[in-house]
Amino acid sequence: MQPAGQTNGKINLDPDHAEHGLAQLVLTVIELLRQIVERHAIRRVEGGTLTDEQIENLGEALANLEEKMEELKEIFGLNAEDLNIDLGPLGSLL
Amino acid sequence: MDGLIYLYGLVPARETEQQPLPALKGFDGKGEIYTVPIGSIAAIICSLDPIEYSEEVIKDKTNNDMEWLREKAFHHHETALKLSKLYTLIPLKFCTLYKNQASLEKAVQSNEAKMLDTLDLITGNEEWNLKIYCDDKLLKEKVSQSNPTIEAKREEISQLPKGKQFFEKKKLDKLIESELQEEKNRVSERIHEHLQQYTLKGTNKRTWNKDVTGRKENMTWNSVYLISVPRVEEFLEQIQEYEKEMKKKGWQFEASGPWPAYHFSCFS
Repeated sequence: MQPAGQTNGKINLDPDHAEHGLAQLVLTVIELLRQIVERHAIRRVEGGTLTDEQIENLGEALANLEEKMEELKEIFGLNAEDLNIDLGPLGSLL
Repeated sequence: MDGLIYLYGLVPARETEQQPLPALKGFDGKGEIYTVPIGSIAAIICSLDPIEYSEEVIKDKTNNDMEWLREKAFHHHETALKLSKLYTLIPLKFCTLYKNQASLEKAVQSNEAKMLDTLDLITGNEEWNLKIYCDDKLLKEKVSQSNPTIEAKREEISQLPKGKQFFEKKKLDKLIESELQEEKNRVSERIHEHLQQYTLKGTNKRTWNKDVTGRKENMTWNSVYLISVPRVEEFLEQIQEYEKEMKKKGWQFEASGPWPAYHFSCFS
């Protein structure tokens, strides 16, 4: 099996260690969604339409989500680069 | 001669008289490379089959046959490199083709004055390339530690509740990122300016991404210089000095050369 720390943007689906490649794939998708939600939330906050309480709740939820992602990455031995994907003309995810 | 002509480069004709061209295989791997004198300039060329290497075939191969492209680009590069070690060479771009010898002669004759100026410019000088790489993580730490605005902002953020802290931290990260980019540009430009004292000309090129360089550090600067041969040593020593001084801060320097003077030859 190739090490998880590969940074070529490819998902490693080794038949003997499929669960690892699968974890990388699933976490990459979750990370993509998390980043989209986060960017959207930042835009809402900067738009000035949210109350202080809403900002606090949203920020706390996103901070918890970020912490959870860090934990999951650690559990599966992945780093930020492993969850980076090439979005073509849009550039890299991270 | 009516065959297709592949042009590698142009050199002063007297240099080919003093130093005859060694035996080198041509673009098709079968024929030999040879010289054609055109006034005071000699063209270094090979003949190609006009059907096998027609414009359409080359276009198709370039777009669809990566193996062919890799092999031929490597051949062109290696040949230009060998020629540049023997002669004062104006290197031509990959796949510079002429319909026949007459059209080549016409093109050379009509540009002769410009080419003689170019040959004057590159005689006794070498083209060198400098790539500067930076470990963004390491430099980011330095930037964020040494910047009082960032420090003050960090202190201010730590007093906020968790949710607000999250958004403010993201804003701060953005600020640090832009400071990092500015610092990288500032340092690279300063080095480029400083190196001008050793060089005759210098120009910067597009940087390459990590997929091309295969390195984990980002390329922050990519430039080429025309340097008079006796000053090359000083130029390289200066780059070693930068490396010694700045390595711990995450900077790396890669000088390479001498290359055929692609960036300082007007005909190419």
